[in-house]
Amino acid sequence: MLITWWYLYLTVRSIAEKSLKMASILQKLITPLFSGPPEPPRNKVTVVGVGQVGMACAVSILLRELVDELALVDVMEDKLKGEMMDLQHGSLFLKTPKIVADKDYSVTANSRIVVVTAGVRQQEGESRLNLVQRNVNIFKHIIPQIVRYSPECIIIVVSNPVDVLTYVTWKLSGLPKHRVIGSGTNLDSARFRFLMADKLGIHASSFNGWILGEHGDTSVPVWSGTNVAGVNLQTLNPDIGTDSDEENWKETHKMVVDSAYEVIKLKGYTNWAIGLSVADLTESLIRNMNRIHPVSTMVQGMYGISDEVYLSLPCVLNNGGVASVVNMTLTEEEVAQLQASASTLWDIQRDLQDV
Amino acid sequence: MSTKEKLISHVMKEEPVGSRNKVTVVGVGMVGMASAVSILLKDLCDELALVDVMEDKLKGEAMDLQHGSLFLKTHRIVADKDYSVTANSKVVVVTAGARQQEGESRLNLVQRNVNIFKFIIPNIVKIIFKSCPLCGFPRHRVIGSGTNLDSARFRHLMGEKLHLHPSSCHGWIIGEHGDSSVPVWSGVNVAGVCLQGLNPKMGAEGDAENWKAVHKLVVDGAYEVIKLKGYTSWAIGMSVADLVESILKNLHKVHPVSTLVQGMHGVKDEVFLSVPCVLGNSGLTDVIQMTLKADEEKQLVKSAETLWGVQKELTL
Repeated sequence: MLITWWYLYLTVRSIAEKSLKMASILQKLITPLFSGPPEPPRNKVTVVGVGQVGMACAVSILLRELVDELALVDVMEDKLKGEMMDLQHGSLFLKTPKIVADKDYSVTANSRIVVVTAGVRQQEGESRLNLVQRNVNIFKHIIPQIVRYSPECIIIVVSNPVDVLTYVTWKLSGLPKHRVIGSGTNLDSARFRFLMADKLGIHASSFNGWILGEHGDTSVPVWSGTNVAGVNLQTLNPDIGTDSDEENWKETHKMVVDSAYEVIKLKGYTNWAIGLSVADLTESLIRNMNRIHPVSTMVQGMYGISDEVYLSLPCVLNNGGVASVVNMTLTEEEVAQLQASASTLWDIQRDLQDV
Repeated sequence: MSTKEKLISHVMKEEPVGSRNKVTVVGVGMVGMASAVSILLKDLCDELALVDVMEDKLKGEAMDLQHGSLFLKTHRIVADKDYSVTANSKVVVVTAGARQQEGESRLNLVQRNVNIFKFIIPNIVKIIFKSCPLCGFPRHRVIGSGTNLDSARFRHLMGEKLHLHPSSCHGWIIGEHGDSSVPVWSGVNVAGVCLQGLNPKMGAEGDAENWKAVHKLVVDGAYEVIKLKGYTSWAIGMSVADLVESILKNLHKVHPVSTLVQGMHGVKDEVFLSVPCVLGNSGLTDVIQMTLKADEEKQLVKSAETLWGVQKELTL
């Protein structure tokens, strides 16, 4: 009995000595001034899905120094852990001190923004609308968990078909509509501005042009708004964007629509451009910038649209989400195109199971 | 008059100057593209060229990056399998070659990659040195990414242990980028406070805090990530962008990169190993002479011998 107590005493003493020694090394180096529970993150972003698009979004957000914490979620545990480690190994070069990942959504708690890239991707030649039901089933699992751990967040939906899935996310989340945003035609507009600017020999940011409506085959280029330094291109060339245009500017919009398919055919998927475009949206939201972006928002009641659909319109983004929508001056034909997109989307949406 | 002519009047009479900070990335695999994207997001170059043999993949990657031009400050992104597209580059990043399979050591890859390089390197040199084909390539312009990444991993792990940002944790890993890299424990410090002074057993066997395990995690780091996701890309990409930044901005920053170390620390063979080097726009101009312990020098010499053992078997 005494021997047991003696051994117990020796064990406790050696543990105490060890921890005292260990504590003293760190204690010798660092004197804490404040002890208490760590502060919650102020600018946390979660990326759901660590495929090519998710990781491109993650890396763009990290390299733009937008966040103090990044969380990654996916179902493929090894891939998830590997991606997290790879990013953590670069932390010397970053200003994001905490990068976490788990298949359990508790790791996403307190996110300001959640970027949803999960889901299956377009196969070569497959249109975005074909993906729909496959991705709805995945979202039924993801969205409620996001909201559970970050009830105040803003959700950016990237997965395709983005307009339909943003509607689905809005329904599944129960969040107010201004906090559910689809990446929409932010990327189409970026591609458009690049291609147009390239033809004119200027930087994309110096060319102003908006593509609205569906992110996909029926997107609407607003030719009446295209301008450089305030000089309206349609005034210089009234045929711009029509079939009778000798310079065939309409071709540029076609190239935008075809871009994704072309890149997919060449390299198997697209990721860099969409990643950069998501980081751009994240920046406006996190930094409360009130910048205008063409993103997918709930357009019921606008332009004669009576269905509950999400389409891209120029939205003012700040840290509350979509603060307001710009009222574009559209031609009758452009309004008709928006309405046609809305009906196509509504036809798909009303057949969806369990939304 | 076309719309463009109505809108824009060209007023410059001279030829356009062209790029001043061009970077080429050879190889558009995961590492090449991670390097390219890190370089682009850090706004380091005014022109980026991509080269590879796989033409479709190359074109697709270039298009994907170009589509992001609105968000970038690099106006020209070009790609071709022909090396003429790399002309006037200030820095060429070579990522081409076969990659480590799960469990495969880096040294095993060598002969496979030598054969690929026998095609790539003369093409680069021909374009960069078109006016002086007989000039040998000066050694201060050939830099291996070396242990810049190992040191970054070490500093990250050190930061986790001490609850500090990696940039406040100083530690240098030198020698071979690989299994026999050398952690210089005597230099590990925070705010100038030498940690080995606080814990004399640091890095040795009897160390209660087991810092030696930290170095082992660095060595195993790559293998673990490869096992989990199939390859590593982000960390090496960021580390490359870090080096490119020092070169293009002429920072004279010190990085642990791979250079010719013959004659240093008792190394007799013509091998490249990582030591702390000063990087600027002329390239690798100076080497910091580290004060190494006898066993650290011995490890370096041993790495050198291992490398020389592999190198002399190569058909160049």
